[in-house]
Amino acid sequence: MNVSELNPASELIEPDYSEFIPAMDRRRMSKVIKMAIACSIDCLKQAGLDQPDGIIVGTSMGCCVHTKNFLDKIIGANDGPLSPTSFIVSTHNTIAGQISLLLKNHGYNITHTQNSLSFEQALMDGILCIQNGYSNVLIGGADEEEDTIYNMKARLNDETIHLTHGASFFILSGKAASPASVNLIDVGSFGLINNPSKIIMRFLDSNNLSSEEIDLVLYANTEHKKTDELKMIFGQKKIFDYQKISGTYYTNSAFAMNYGIDILRLRSHPVFGNSIGKVLVCNNLIPENLGLILIDNKNQLG
Amino acid sequence: MRFIDSNLISDMQDLKYELKKQIIQELNLQDIKPEDIIDDAPLFGDGLGLDSIDALELVVLMEKYHGVKILDETVGKKVLASINTMAEYIVEENSKKT
Amino acid sequence: MKIFVTGIGVVSAIGLNAEENLCSLRSGVTGIRRSSVYNLMLGEVKLCNEQLIQLLNLPNEDFSRTTLLSILAAKEAWGKNKIVDDIRTGIISSTSVGGLDRIEKYYFESQTNKSSESYKLMTHDNGRTTERVAAELGVSGYIGTISTACSSGANAIMQGARLIEANKLDRVIVGGCDPLAIFDIKGFSSLNIYDQEICKPFDESRKGLNLGEGAAFLVLENDQSISITDNTPLCLLSGWDNATDAFHQTASSANGKGARLAMINALAKANITSEKINYVNAHGTGTGNNDLSESIALKTVFGDNIPPFSSTKGFTGHTLAAAGAIEAVYCVQAIRSQTILPNLNFSTPMTETGMIPEKTFRPGTQIEYVLSNSFGFGGNCTCLIFGKAN
Repeated sequence: MNVSELNPASELIEPDYSEFIPAMDRRRMSKVIKMAIACSIDCLKQAGLDQPDGIIVGTSMGCCVHTKNFLDKIIGANDGPLSPTSFIVSTHNTIAGQISLLLKNHGYNITHTQNSLSFEQALMDGILCIQNGYSNVLIGGADEEEDTIYNMKARLNDETIHLTHGASFFILSGKAASPASVNLIDVGSFGLINNPSKIIMRFLDSNNLSSEEIDLVLYANTEHKKTDELKMIFGQKKIFDYQKISGTYYTNSAFAMNYGIDILRLRSHPVFGNSIGKVLVCNNLIPENLGLILIDNKNQLG
Repeated sequence: MRFIDSNLISDMQDLKYELKKQIIQELNLQDIKPEDIIDDAPLFGDGLGLDSIDALELVVLMEKYHGVKILDETVGKKVLASINTMAEYIVEENSKKT
Repeated sequence: MKIFVTGIGVVSAIGLNAEENLCSLRSGVTGIRRSSVYNLMLGEVKLCNEQLIQLLNLPNEDFSRTTLLSILAAKEAWGKNKIVDDIRTGIISSTSVGGLDRIEKYYFESQTNKSSESYKLMTHDNGRTTERVAAELGVSGYIGTISTACSSGANAIMQGARLIEANKLDRVIVGGCDPLAIFDIKGFSSLNIYDQEICKPFDESRKGLNLGEGAAFLVLENDQSISITDNTPLCLLSGWDNATDAFHQTASSANGKGARLAMINALAKANITSEKINYVNAHGTGTGNNDLSESIALKTVFGDNIPPFSSTKGFTGHTLAAAGAIEAVYCVQAIRSQTILPNLNFSTPMTETGMIPEKTFRPGTQIEYVLSNSFGFGGNCTCLIFGKAN
């Protein structure tokens, strides 16, 4: 499985949304909502489920295209009559809300918006749900691209980043559904930190693991110094910058987890090698925030 | 004996056609053409299947494109029932101004 | 496991701290006034940004109002707490505006003055404002933000409790904030959802809501944390639940299914029956739809024995993401002072239900459990139950 790296001309690979969403619903949906719904429906189908017990979304920018549209409508209306649709579907939780509406789902429904840690917090929330007795939880990370009302390059202090967008969704369950199921071992969300290496070592330690036992580290950061630290901890061959294939958006660690799961299912990779059993997603996209996701393919069914 | 003004009829036809185009545009009804919308068919519920958010958008449309205000929910329910009722209301309100 | 509430802080149209808010609730004086700028009834916090910056002793930077109001309320709740290694501490806030108040200011400027690039400087997002509050209190580690429209504040409180219960944290500051932003003022205007006068929750003649702004935070602790901090519990957070109406993006279903599920499950979580609830702080926005839907849900859950209930939005306006948190603080105060809080501007019950909310500030009531509802766009319904600490 070889995924080619992005180039400046790369575009989002999208399904035909009309296969997932009726036209009368689709007309009000911005890209992030459509992406999330398509992923969710696909996810449920793969898991053989009609309904999840809960729906949890991590999104940093939410429905920012609609937000911008409504700002434009305010300017254009000039105190005259104002069209409400963009406002109505601009809240961050419209994504999770529209999924529940389409599925007619009455379960737990939460949206986390902690910039680069949004997806990790959604995952942690999902784990709490499973521990509290839910059977299946739909969890995703999604963000759409909107460069006029929010300057991500300035926020990350890096003009070279390639802004993109995407959505990745998962079904988290208390039991392995099949031999293809991958284990979510642990998730951590650490804000306002200054020593990511120390936190990574402590995280591994709390899971009784040494750095040598990690077969692959999928990382994101915008500072070269941090990459050097990762190389020192894990070795040059084991680390891969997932932004080369996902581009940059705040919830791209969800993409990384998806990629990690694909690799764990195959257990090997043409570049990263054979016997891949443990993957760590190391999201240091914002320097003072660190998200860690640990997954492995130790087969629960034996 | 009433004389029917053929100009008025064609003005009315034009107005209804304009309304249909505006509705398709403002409500983002991507797969629908003006010819698909029947003049006396219900816009809400079973007919075109519009909902309460669309109702608000139609109120904005009426003011923005035709200068008529709908200030009351009860009035709104009657006026926005079909293309016919919308067109009749526009003509009625605008004739009050002249 | 018990979850203790040991600190509260609130800023709203009726006061800059918990004591002032309670005084206003006692005196029945609303904080909603007609805004000269918008010709609308709004519940504004009576300090501008510059005054907040001075009051908080912050540097003269271009802060989002979300940050300023949040810091004010969070600091009050945090009080004399300190960060120590033995207490795993986190913060979960909530907001729908976040840094949008700055973004919209600069975006509007840039559109009218094409040469202005000032909006390009704006980098605030929801999580950023929470980080700023965390930095002010010295909190690092779990810093989270939830955004579920008008149920956000309640969901942040619920999330904090769940993390303590799962032994991920020992102590957490939870709450939410939304300032008044042009985006929301114009947005709700486009929905035709305002009452042009002060709102009348649960009244037959209610016409809609008034927008408000504010922030509120609570400090939640487990036994282990309290054994170190020695903080006095104000009350317990006994139950919670979140459910979805799945009816419409903005409207609530006629039978209030999401609301009913949230209340029933919260009661189950608290391990009590509905008869144990002594007071309900309703979502009660004053809109035709919400108040009817919520009333039906209350009837379904409580049957003929609906406890004394009120909406306090006649005092504060609807503070969107902050509402669940502000009203949680009021619930804590209700239990502490053994008082039923009043519902302003009520005179005629709804024809459909005949339900009559509490009209007066009623101290000297036996209150063991209080239930608080918050419902948001997307059909998001959250219910919190607070219990008396012994």
